[in-house]
Amino acid sequence: MKTPWQVMTKGDWLIVLMLLGIAVAGIAWLAAAPKGTRVVVTSGNQTCFVAELDQSHSVDLDGPLGKTHLVIDETGAHVTSSPCPRKVCISMGPAKHSGDLLACVPNRIMVRIESPADENAPYDLLSR
Amino acid sequence: MPWNRPLIIGIILLLLTLGWLRTNSGETEQVRRSQLMMGTIVEIVATGQDPDQLEAAIDEAFAEMARLDRLLSRHYQDSDVSRLSQSRKGGKVAPETAEVIALGLDVARHSKGAFDMTLGRLKALWDISQENPVIPKQEAIAEAMEGIGPRALSLEGLNLFKQSPQLMVDLGGIAKGYIVDRAIIVLKKHGINNGAVNAGGDMYLLGQHPEHPWRIGIQHPREQDGILATVQVRDKAVVTSGDYERFFEQDGHRYHHIFDPETGSSARGCQSATVITKSVALGDALATALFVLGPQKGLELLAEYPGSEGLIVAADGTLHPSTGWASYADSP
Repeated sequence: MKTPWQVMTKGDWLIVLMLLGIAVAGIAWLAAAPKGTRVVVTSGNQTCFVAELDQSHSVDLDGPLGKTHLVIDETGAHVTSSPCPRKVCISMGPAKHSGDLLACVPNRIMVRIESPADENAPYDLLSR
Repeated sequence: MPWNRPLIIGIILLLLTLGWLRTNSGETEQVRRSQLMMGTIVEIVATGQDPDQLEAAIDEAFAEMARLDRLLSRHYQDSDVSRLSQSRKGGKVAPETAEVIALGLDVARHSKGAFDMTLGRLKALWDISQENPVIPKQEAIAEAMEGIGPRALSLEGLNLFKQSPQLMVDLGGIAKGYIVDRAIIVLKKHGINNGAVNAGGDMYLLGQHPEHPWRIGIQHPREQDGILATVQVRDKAVVTSGDYERFFEQDGHRYHHIFDPETGSSARGCQSATVITKSVALGDALATALFVLGPQKGLELLAEYPGSEGLIVAADGTLHPSTGWASYADSP
């Protein structure tokens, strides 16, 4: 009596190899998936702007007081102008590490750096 | 036997499916949400197996924080703090308010008044938060400091007594920490063992990050993009007070929001003070006291609170760690 392996045809093995190939390629694809660090901005409780941190960008973000100007450049994401009275958001400087937060509280603008690859970040949260 | 072929292929597919399910079952989920409250960004991070459970826990934690903010903030007319400030002799307060004030009075006594919850009038006079702050006249400062100090407030049960009618209660140096602590209690109640609540840099780290102990960066007080140190903590509060976020400069002096009750002006002994301790409320109060006291007296005070460690950056930029700080230090 033939064992199950002996009844496998070349076509069967081809299907098995294809399935294995798909599985290996899938795992490799997942491992190599892009891990871009993103700048996520919310106004109120709504996400209003998302951009890659490594791509220069500038944007005016609307809030109840007016426009908060956010710049993304080689130093990170930072607020360069704001209608708020104290300008604390400008003095906070750039955010660039995963988990970093910036906010213009009076203008209800919140900026967060998000990255799926935060193992390489120097810290998880910043005490300031 | 032709049926063996689909059987073998089927078994391989089944094994692949089981393998896939195995790698994806029990995966740790992390939910991270932020809100603007208490004049800052509050971020809650929770990790666990069930995203719905995490979301529910975070919802309730934010709701609890909002409730307590209404009770403890001077920005709400009907808060306990506003009612106390408007009253002539004090009055009955909520149990939560009493708990905060009792802790604050303890730190005020231990720090010999360096931590002070009676600086409401002085802070209102300086109003560092306004667009163009100015240095008040010395007579106005002296008047705003009349009747302040650790003995100006006393607590008996839920009854708070003011020694002076014009005294304005200010819980700014402790209430935010207390509210973070209460949010952590909510997370624990929901079975969350790993997470964090971070209110503008005052934070509690519950358990650990999914892959490692929590790594906390400490802001460098003079390098906007610099990290002074990183620490690794678990089930601890980390709080930093610094002179670099709310300040203005005039005639070569930096005027900021941490006031020395002895002088009525901004404290001058430090650039920043970081405390690692058991609760954010205690850390909040201690970090303020350390900043006001300066390195030497500050570290002496810290030694009175077992399990608390700190790192003080003196006005000249020198670092003054407490004896046990190194046990948390990741760098330098």
